[in-house]
Amino acid sequence: MALPVLICDDSLLARKQVRKSLPESFDADILTAGNGVEALTILRGQEIGLVFLDLTMPELDGIGVLEAIKQDGLDCFVIVISADIQPEMQKRVTELGALAFIHKPVNPEKLVVILKQYGLI
Amino acid sequence: MSTVFSEEQRDCLQELINVAMGLASDKLARFLNTFVHLQVPAIELVNSSQIPAQFEAQYSSTEAALVSQGFLGNDGLRGEAIVLYQLDNAHRIAALLGYDTDSASELEMLTDISSILTTTFLNGLAGQIDNSLSYSAPRVLSSRQTNVTEALIETACHWELALKVDISYQLIDHSFNCDMLLLIPGEAVLNIQQILDRIVEEY
Repeated sequence: MALPVLICDDSLLARKQVRKSLPESFDADILTAGNGVEALTILRGQEIGLVFLDLTMPELDGIGVLEAIKQDGLDCFVIVISADIQPEMQKRVTELGALAFIHKPVNPEKLVVILKQYGLI
Repeated sequence: MSTVFSEEQRDCLQELINVAMGLASDKLARFLNTFVHLQVPAIELVNSSQIPAQFEAQYSSTEAALVSQGFLGNDGLRGEAIVLYQLDNAHRIAALLGYDTDSASELEMLTDISSILTTTFLNGLAGQIDNSLSYSAPRVLSSRQTNVTEALIETACHWELALKVDISYQLIDHSFNCDMLLLIPGEAVLNIQQILDRIVEEY
């Protein structure tokens, strides 16, 4: 069965980059959100297995989304894909429960390694 | 010549700039030994003649500094990157970094920070569009002794267009605002538009 996946980024290009980086073998049902508020609306309304989450976004940023996921006890994997690559930020998102931290622009090989590591493909 | 970006081109450029800003912030954070809160920089393409008026209000009432660095890449990509600072911010950063508080050190610090911001940012941008840049040494064009608007008019008049990148940094205990202006000739914009179209098509 296809895994419901949410790609959350304010940039259309970035959302397309993530989508295109996913391997063909990955059976996913893809939804998109343009900011954190939209992402939470989707996450609270339906089951999502995996979220690709940008950090620097208008309305509600990625940190805000991670905090809400934690607070609401939403059951989903989160992979952060961020231009903010400071080690401190990486530590923060890991503490907030993100599975992995990938630097932008997304590297498809790296993404495949992570998906395999967590048994998602 | 169209100097306006389409919505797709703008989105694409914004994302490339976000990634480049991320690299610059990381470098700056290491240099300042602190965490830098990164905001999405607002970008705008304007005629360079409009630039001084836009900044007059913002920078003329306070002591400001202006640091310039030229860049040159392949395929007609060249220009001058200008970083504008308000000096009351600069004092705090200088103290944070342990520079002496005399004005010579202040200029040294501004040159250091501008160089980090400009070269890391532009290298990050160039890397994403398969270009590579070389740079001239940074020059302080204006400091507390001179009028920032005049210096800006004098510099901007050599170029047709300016890509404004509003950068707002918040350090843990300090906020630090500066503006980066990329002054570029018209043909560089055409080149950038072609590259953006190619990237948009690729995805």
